Amino acid sequence: MSDDEASLDFSTVIASTVHDMKNSLGLLMQAYTEALANLPADASETREHGIVEYESLRLNGMLVQMLGLYKLQVHQLPLRPTWMEVDDFLEAQLARHDNILRARHISGTYTLDDPGMMGFFDPELVGSVVSNVINNSIRYAKSAIHLHASMDEEQLVLSISDDGAGYPQVMIDKQSEYVLGIDMSTGSTGLGLYFGERIARLHQRNGAKGHIQLSNDCALGGGEFRIWLP
Amino acid sequence: MIDYSKKRFLVVDDFSDFRSSVTGMLRQMAVQNVDTAANGDEALAQCRRNAYDIILHDYNLGAGKNGQQVLEELHHAKLISPHCIFVMVTAESSQAMVMAALECEPDAYLTKPFNRASLQQRLDKLVERKNALKPILDALEKNDQQTVVTASEKAMAALPRFAPQCQRYLATALESLGKHAELEKLLEGLVNDRPMPWALVALADHWQRIGQLDKAEALYNKAIGLFPMVPALYDGLAAIAAAQGDTAKAQEYLQQGIRISPNSLSRQAELGKLAQANDNHEQAIRAFRQAVELGRNSVFRDPENHLALATSLTDQAGDSSLNSRALVEIRQTLGELNKTWKDDPVLAVRSDLTQARTLAKTGQTDEANRLAQAAAEKITTLDKFFSAETALVVAAQLRNLGQDKQADEVLSTCAEMYGDDPKVMAGVASQTQDPAILSAGAQAQTWNREGIRCYQKKQFPEALELFRKAWNSQPRNVSFALNTAQSLLRLLAAQPDASLKEECLQCLQQVRSMPESDHRYERYQKLCATVDKL
Repeated sequence: MSDDEASLDFSTVIASTVHDMKNSLGLLMQAYTEALANLPADASETREHGIVEYESLRLNGMLVQMLGLYKLQVHQLPLRPTWMEVDDFLEAQLARHDNILRARHISGTYTLDDPGMMGFFDPELVGSVVSNVINNSIRYAKSAIHLHASMDEEQLVLSISDDGAGYPQVMIDKQSEYVLGIDMSTGSTGLGLYFGERIARLHQRNGAKGHIQLSNDCALGGGEFRIWLP
Repeated sequence: MIDYSKKRFLVVDDFSDFRSSVTGMLRQMAVQNVDTAANGDEALAQCRRNAYDIILHDYNLGAGKNGQQVLEELHHAKLISPHCIFVMVTAESSQAMVMAALECEPDAYLTKPFNRASLQQRLDKLVERKNALKPILDALEKNDQQTVVTASEKAMAALPRFAPQCQRYLATALESLGKHAELEKLLEGLVNDRPMPWALVALADHWQRIGQLDKAEALYNKAIGLFPMVPALYDGLAAIAAAQGDTAKAQEYLQQGIRISPNSLSRQAELGKLAQANDNHEQAIRAFRQAVELGRNSVFRDPENHLALATSLTDQAGDSSLNSRALVEIRQTLGELNKTWKDDPVLAVRSDLTQARTLAKTGQTDEANRLAQAAAEKITTLDKFFSAETALVVAAQLRNLGQDKQADEVLSTCAEMYGDDPKVMAGVASQTQDPAILSAGAQAQTWNREGIRCYQKKQFPEALELFRKAWNSQPRNVSFALNTAQSLLRLLAAQPDASLKEECLQCLQQVRSMPESDHRYERYQKLCATVDKL
């Protein structure tokens, strides 16, 4: 092996390939949506179409997460916090999954403790975390996914809950190990939690750092993911 | 429900599939009027023809301009109204955000892939916001900054959800009105608790502008701790270091900024200049090469970068001769310069002098002399003279090429035109001891200073007399001529007089050779316009 080959920086290769893969996937999904639009409604609402749609969103989410983790590693993930209208933010998250929610007959709703709530965070980064969680919930939800925004003292809390079977007990018990990246045995779910925690922690204020938490005690009866943003 | 049927859209993307897919989504939203463009130049051309309500622009367009460059050109050419919604569509938003200059950000980012629901949700919010802030945007369109201030303050109180946006409009307006105390109060309030990058940069830049360098430096550093990926913060630190004379440190800071965002033409050019000052030829070459490259598809291209690249390549060789690769690059660079700015005789002279130095270095002495001599002769026929900074460079080049007589003449003209600026005279003095050049304007400068004092005390006839004496003694001096013209115009406004008007025209005629880059050029044009109206 020559020196040149030895010095090939594999993480850079991954990053640039992921970038191309995202573009490719984007075109694929567009072409697919277009082909679908030309079909009569009953032909376009089949189970297979739902799978294509769902899995491509999931693939996209994984690629975003992978790129995000790479950038965190090389300290190139910019944090751009801004004041957001929280209702606008939650609405946008549901809109991203609009097609798939409708195809699976899952209702996507949101509520806020205070309708005029404003939040201070990076909407892109937090959006990618929330989007991955919604994606995961869609897989387990029977009929409903609910987003909620509340305040925990001075921290904004966004929660995503569903009416599925909830997180496995072992995940709830060992969540601190997942979020710290110690245990990756569950594959993408564990990685998702790790990513969520890292993004949450980038948000800091007066010494307080953001964090995430999993639980199974929500009104809908399924699992609930919460992210605290100081 | 927002009615999109009357709104005019422009969709820009290099993939035709994407354009048709977005157009399809827009049709579902009842949009009737959609234009498309496949690249930045097409987008700019469309914007010249039509005023769009909403532009959806892909960031990464492959070869040619990227979305950020197009947005900057749209602002520069005033082709985009404050009411227009510009959405940057990206495969990955963080990359585009780092590249966005803080003063030229899109209204929103939209990450690919997106569906119709996401697009509509985002546009609904943006339309709602632009409608709510209409009074501010109207004032911005008229460049009526005072009204921007009052409208922003009103909107902040009435519409808390749009307050963050209004604060930004308010800060920009206060800055352009020079309302330092109010700007400082606003920004200090904003950076205290939950600081946004723009507010930190704005406050630190403000302190730097008013000379509070220590405070500015501390804030830039604090902000970098919070947001290490904002290149504008490194620009600020570099400017402070340069102002304190530490060009080595300034260069380091700019290099850090460039690592984050390598595609900024102005930052690369600035780095090149600092590296040149630090005799770091390698870095200077790299930076100017980038600046030339980035300028290739931009309205912000600047011939100075071509000249500086050729000069740095020659400098790098030191006392040894130039290698053939450098020679090829110099020839290409100057060739591109001559071709791109072929109607600019001042640049042609500078290009020839740069070329002559390269020839001299490669031992082609006769050829170098011939070119230098021709350039020296051309200088005497130029309609426009050099800026002070350029004149000093050109004089040094001429002297190095053995053209002492023409070098002195350039210095002498420079001293006459710009000699009222002590910094220019210091530059002249570093190249010549000739008292005829160095003290020719001394008496005239005293008259001019006294004239200014009289003018400030509203003793206008006395001021005119002194300015006139200064001007008659140094007729090519820009300040003296403009001061005389302005004093004459003051008299003429009260009472028309044909001979005074004639004198005023002569003053202005005399300084027509001032380069357009001169900071007094705007004043010169205003005076010309005033005379014309008499």
